[in-house]
Amino acid sequence: MALDRRFLLRGAFQGSAVAMALPLLDCFLDGNGQALADNGKRIPTRFGTYFWGCGLTKELFVPKTIGANYETTQQLASLEPYKKKISVFSGLRAIVDDNPNFQHWTGLAAVTTGISPTRAGEFDSQTIDQTIADAIGHGTRFKSIEATCSGNKNESYSSLGGANTNPPEVSPLGLYTRLFGPGFQDPSKGDWKPDPQVLVHQSMLSVVADDRKRLMANLSASDKARMDQYFTSVRELEQSMEAALKRPDVVAQVTIPAAPGEMPVSKSVPELQKIVPMMSRLIALGLATNQTHVFNIALAEPGSTIFMPGDSKPFHQQTHEEPIDPVLGYQPVSANFSTHSMKFFAMLIKELEDIKEGDGTLLDHSLVLAYTDTSFAKLHALDGIPVLLAGSASGRVKTGYHIAGEGSPVSRVGLTVQQAMGLSIDGWGKGSMATKKAFSEILA
Amino acid sequence: MQAKATFAICLSLWILAVPAVALAASAGQEVGLRLLTESEYRNSISDIFGSDILVQGRFDAGRRVGGLLAASSTVLSVTPASLESFSKMADSIAAQVVDQNHREKLVGCTPKDTKAADDACASAFLARYGRLLFRRPLTGDELTSRVKLAGDLAKSNRDFYAGLSDSLATLLYSPTFLFRHEIAVPAGGKATTLDGYSRATRLSFLLWDTTPDAALLKAAESGRLNTAAGVAEQVDRLMSSPRLEMGMRAFFADMLQLDTFSNTTKDSIIYPKYNAQIAAAAQEETLRTVMDLGLRSNDDIRNLMTTQKTYISRVLASIYDVPYNFHDEWMAYEFPQSAGRSGILTQISTLSMFSHPGRSSPTERGVALMDIFLCEPTPLPPANVDFSIVNNTDGPLKTVRERLLAHATTPTCASCHNHSDPIGLTLEHFDSTGAHRLHENGQLIDVSGTIQGKTFTGAQGLGRYLHDNPKFPACLARKLYSYGAGADSEDVNPAAYKIAYKAFVDGGYRLRTLLKSMVSSPGYFDTASPSAADTKTAMNK
Amino acid sequence: MTITGRIMEAKSGRRKHRCLLLCTALTLAPAPLMAEPWVKSFVVDKYEPAFYYGGRPGVEKAGVIEPGVDCPGGTLPMLDFAKVVKTPWRSDEEVASWVKPAQVTDLQTVHYMQERILTYRSFRRDIVSYINPFTVPDPGMPSVVGKIAEGFNLDGNVKTGGFVNSRGEKGIDNAYYRALGCIGSFRGAPYTAAMSVRSTDKMLEGMYTMVIRLSGNKSPMNDDAATLEIGYSPDHVNKQTDGRASTSYSFRIVKNEQYSKVKAVIRDGVVETEQVSELHTPRFGWFPNQMGDADFHQGRIRLEIGPDGFASGLVGGYRDWRDLYSEDTFTQSGSTIETRDHHDVIGMYYALKRNADGVPDPRTGEKMGISIAYRLKAVPAYVIDPEGALSTTVLPADRRATQKYRQMRDIFYKGIATATIQPNPRGSNEGAPQLRQRADGSWTNSDGERNGLRDASPPIGPSTMLQQVNNQEAERTAQPVTAR
Repeated sequence: MALDRRFLLRGAFQGSAVAMALPLLDCFLDGNGQALADNGKRIPTRFGTYFWGCGLTKELFVPKTIGANYETTQQLASLEPYKKKISVFSGLRAIVDDNPNFQHWTGLAAVTTGISPTRAGEFDSQTIDQTIADAIGHGTRFKSIEATCSGNKNESYSSLGGANTNPPEVSPLGLYTRLFGPGFQDPSKGDWKPDPQVLVHQSMLSVVADDRKRLMANLSASDKARMDQYFTSVRELEQSMEAALKRPDVVAQVTIPAAPGEMPVSKSVPELQKIVPMMSRLIALGLATNQTHVFNIALAEPGSTIFMPGDSKPFHQQTHEEPIDPVLGYQPVSANFSTHSMKFFAMLIKELEDIKEGDGTLLDHSLVLAYTDTSFAKLHALDGIPVLLAGSASGRVKTGYHIAGEGSPVSRVGLTVQQAMGLSIDGWGKGSMATKKAFSEILA
Repeated sequence: MQAKATFAICLSLWILAVPAVALAASAGQEVGLRLLTESEYRNSISDIFGSDILVQGRFDAGRRVGGLLAASSTVLSVTPASLESFSKMADSIAAQVVDQNHREKLVGCTPKDTKAADDACASAFLARYGRLLFRRPLTGDELTSRVKLAGDLAKSNRDFYAGLSDSLATLLYSPTFLFRHEIAVPAGGKATTLDGYSRATRLSFLLWDTTPDAALLKAAESGRLNTAAGVAEQVDRLMSSPRLEMGMRAFFADMLQLDTFSNTTKDSIIYPKYNAQIAAAAQEETLRTVMDLGLRSNDDIRNLMTTQKTYISRVLASIYDVPYNFHDEWMAYEFPQSAGRSGILTQISTLSMFSHPGRSSPTERGVALMDIFLCEPTPLPPANVDFSIVNNTDGPLKTVRERLLAHATTPTCASCHNHSDPIGLTLEHFDSTGAHRLHENGQLIDVSGTIQGKTFTGAQGLGRYLHDNPKFPACLARKLYSYGAGADSEDVNPAAYKIAYKAFVDGGYRLRTLLKSMVSSPGYFDTASPSAADTKTAMNK
Repeated sequence: MTITGRIMEAKSGRRKHRCLLLCTALTLAPAPLMAEPWVKSFVVDKYEPAFYYGGRPGVEKAGVIEPGVDCPGGTLPMLDFAKVVKTPWRSDEEVASWVKPAQVTDLQTVHYMQERILTYRSFRRDIVSYINPFTVPDPGMPSVVGKIAEGFNLDGNVKTGGFVNSRGEKGIDNAYYRALGCIGSFRGAPYTAAMSVRSTDKMLEGMYTMVIRLSGNKSPMNDDAATLEIGYSPDHVNKQTDGRASTSYSFRIVKNEQYSKVKAVIRDGVVETEQVSELHTPRFGWFPNQMGDADFHQGRIRLEIGPDGFASGLVGGYRDWRDLYSEDTFTQSGSTIETRDHHDVIGMYYALKRNADGVPDPRTGEKMGISIAYRLKAVPAYVIDPEGALSTTVLPADRRATQKYRQMRDIFYKGIATATIQPNPRGSNEGAPQLRQRADGSWTNSDGERNGLRDASPPIGPSTMLQQVNNQEAERTAQPVTAR
């Protein structure tokens, strides 16, 4: 599926509506304009995170059904078109042990590191996206790409550990320039190089394979069959390495647009409704053209200050000041902000789903972890932190489930995610969040 | 005689045909191929390279054969997914071994130029660790190919240590490391016996759950381990070390099926208290109890069925409903008789592993205890069983006992249920998490059970019954032998360890006696002669 | 079968069978012929000021405007900042430019500006009003006018107090409730008010643990000479999936300034302690820096033990009203409480002071104590005497905040005692210190950058926030905070 030949950039700039019809940079990736589908080429699996602050509203988002075919709840209505590809987790806990509960920090660090942080604003290990990027981020131009929708360069939650975070792109123009500006690697053109590590691993495997003749010599029949299995596995590994030495075909048929204009960055919800789709589309294009396999995008900070124009109180302030409605049982204005946070997530998912790749979509070949910092922002509570997973990681994850965490540690999601992305780990997290129990019901 | 002669000739021809590299290993017939378990792998790496080397990876689950995971090592192999995992782990371990923090201590020689190959240093390094990892010296070919690889990669990366780490990695996912190769050599006449390295390996993994140490390898190399005196020497050394506890923990964790916890979940509405911490602590409690009684006190091992002494942590104290004294993480505790407990039969581990998420299961408990302690596994129920009565907690039958008894009057069911249910029914004072209760659904629980005409009441009655039942020590001996040999305990011939068993019984049922006598028995390392068919296939390769 | 100190619940967990269970157990067990020593302990897993909610049943959420017999006008509305900050020396223009600043687009800065102007509303511009509330005229705070309250008749006089409790007892003294019971974050049915939910959430997270141990020589349900101990434990509560604390856990009780041991009489499972001149217990709170001793003068405790072994109870006495003011105000900052929870802090000061009804100052006769009661729920536990000395745990990350809180409280006390105006100490949280002024006089809360871009007109001078960081560094080398 190709994008429109004319990519119209609509936006508000300094208050007036602007529509720019931009000239194209046609970038079909094979000479015939055919989608490179169904020819068995290896499509990489991508990983990404979406962060939003101040949680969701328990009464409005937790489905009553547990397991597959959960019902669409009010706060997740915007995700309905993608429901079969999204799993929702409720009832998961961040457990602080002997550390304080750092408001608007401990919860998010618990999701991405599995560790209760000892200092506010710091991570006690590298975050999960970097661990995954260590494994799958080679062979692309960028190990990972970070972006934020609210214009503040402090709003990145991807870290190698400690107080430093990977700096994010803060505007659509900045993100565009980074991905498609100077240094853009068109995968259909000349300068692609295979990962040198693959060649190394090939020579290592052949040394092991050399031992085969000697080893097979003295075995009983049944033991020989088992040793055969071992060397069959060696052969399969060799084959996948041969494939890795070939230039990957980018099977998505996409058009890279021209640069967007400078846009005012703002945390007002109407402005974000223009910025988020643009940032999301750019990220999707970046994944599809192999600029990176890992992305992190933040809506705003954990004490989210997104706001509705005309209302003096941003989201975070509302969560503390707004009383709980006696009839509804929750805070309606705060809930509205949480619902918007999910609408923004839906915009990201839409961009991933809209790109066809092979016999599926970019979303099918990705795994996106959507997470937040608290379950009930009014209390900075850590019990019931909502987490969502979108995409099936190229078939390694089953989707469309509501998993009830029942008080188990939120690190179980991180463990599941890493196993789904092919990392060889059996346990993750520390202290009471140390776990070896992934959610096997969604691992294929 | 003809066949035997042919065999002998073929064998000797074959031996001559193999390139001679001064190794006993290659001169024998492989009689066993056992995939390393996760703990054997981890302990080997820790002992060879140091405990600060991180081993982070996924190991395949084993399969229980004859009640032991150890026996499945003889049927498992390496799948593509697990090879991938092993190769990733190998890369990671090797990279750590040569990194800045470790190379001074572990590499043992410095290259002339860190940006180039250095065959001498690489060769020394690979030979040294190859011997430790393969549990025998490398052959000439094995070493040469790796030294060449190290050199090539050092050149192409302009980094000696990169080449070194990659060639080390090929040792770490080689099948010679991943599998224990048990090689048999002739022992006079038709008999064959395990060669020195295989003996070292068997002793080391059984007694210490780890790879043979330097002294063991030396004893193998010098031929000392081929003698009874040599074996006795090493056995004494290994058994008097505190590391014996590691080996015995691994055995009992296997025999008592403590890995069942990885599949144990409890209904959080009925048992809101139960969590993963309790599961972990419960395993440790049981192992501590066994080690204390079996190794430290060297007590009659049958007392595991009756002892009131245990070790409890704070979380376990909350299930046992006893105060915890905060002295140490593990508090020595003795239950009063009135608590109705009896040995490891009523520890949280046993009680919660073999229960349903929402209620106890006398059948599951009975089946498990018979399998674990009496070596009497129960066949699966027939396909057309109607579970509706036993699962109906709202009907007129208020207790599990009533529902089970009603069910077991059917003849086809009774044949199995009459064995397992009485055992489990005596444990009904303990719910699915191991907590004590006297009532179920408002009714007082009846904990009497009758097996083969003998009636006993409650866990303590069961404990005495099992303590006095000769099948228990017989089963323990059988499983210990099978664990060491990697054999299916249902197929093992008790004659193979009858000397040890007699010493065990006569000597007061002490674990140390059984263990020492077993591995020191003359026939312990004997192997069955390979069949002619097997040999022919080998020769045609 | 023996009766243990606590009856174990049957596996099925159905409430209707518990009574049957108890009856069965009692009839089957031999009645104790001889008294024997017994111990029964609990860990608290819900704790809050015992306010009575007078609104409609079923409409029991925090911050409800819902009128009721307690507060006919409903919950106190949100503060109208413009009204609150108006003083004779502050023009309407100044009020508008701070409360609703037109040029400032960043809402966080607006928020901090409101905090700053709220902080300075005394008769003179430079006074921090929260530290010196007596420098601001009493704005008035509507009090509870209902007749029902939970609590004790602390002075034994049915004519004082003015409340009747749910047991029909007259003369109940709970002036704290009268003073503050219409405030949004305190108002609601038991254990539903916002501040309570927050505090319980933190307690179950491990911020602090309160334990109770009962002992005697006759029987836990009836004993004329029982003993009750209450105190702090460094051991964390274990939270279950159903939100309550797990039963049968062991906790060490620390015999420090938060500990009390009092006599008690038990009749049919209802425990009434003696009234003591000083009853020390752990303090109700939602932030680690508030933790410490809640000193109840003429304090007493009532505990009711149910057949299932779970307990609910009441702790009451006169607490120093200045302490209660400090708890609310200085934990974070007065302006935080005013902008987030909409407590009028100055109104609270006067309400607490005028409702004080006990503990007269020997010098002046002024009442320094205000009657108060807290309600609790507790689950069965084991309370252990630790070996060796133990103290309250103050995490290193909380030490600075705790020191700061106590410093502010001490300054406030000093101001009242000496009737002199106290300055805002260096490093104080009062007055939105993160606000910085630019050269053109406008305000920002940034340190020179805005939205990832350099602030076109950066603030001048070092930021007060940077100053704070420096203060904290200096304080880090100070003595560790001792438990207080």
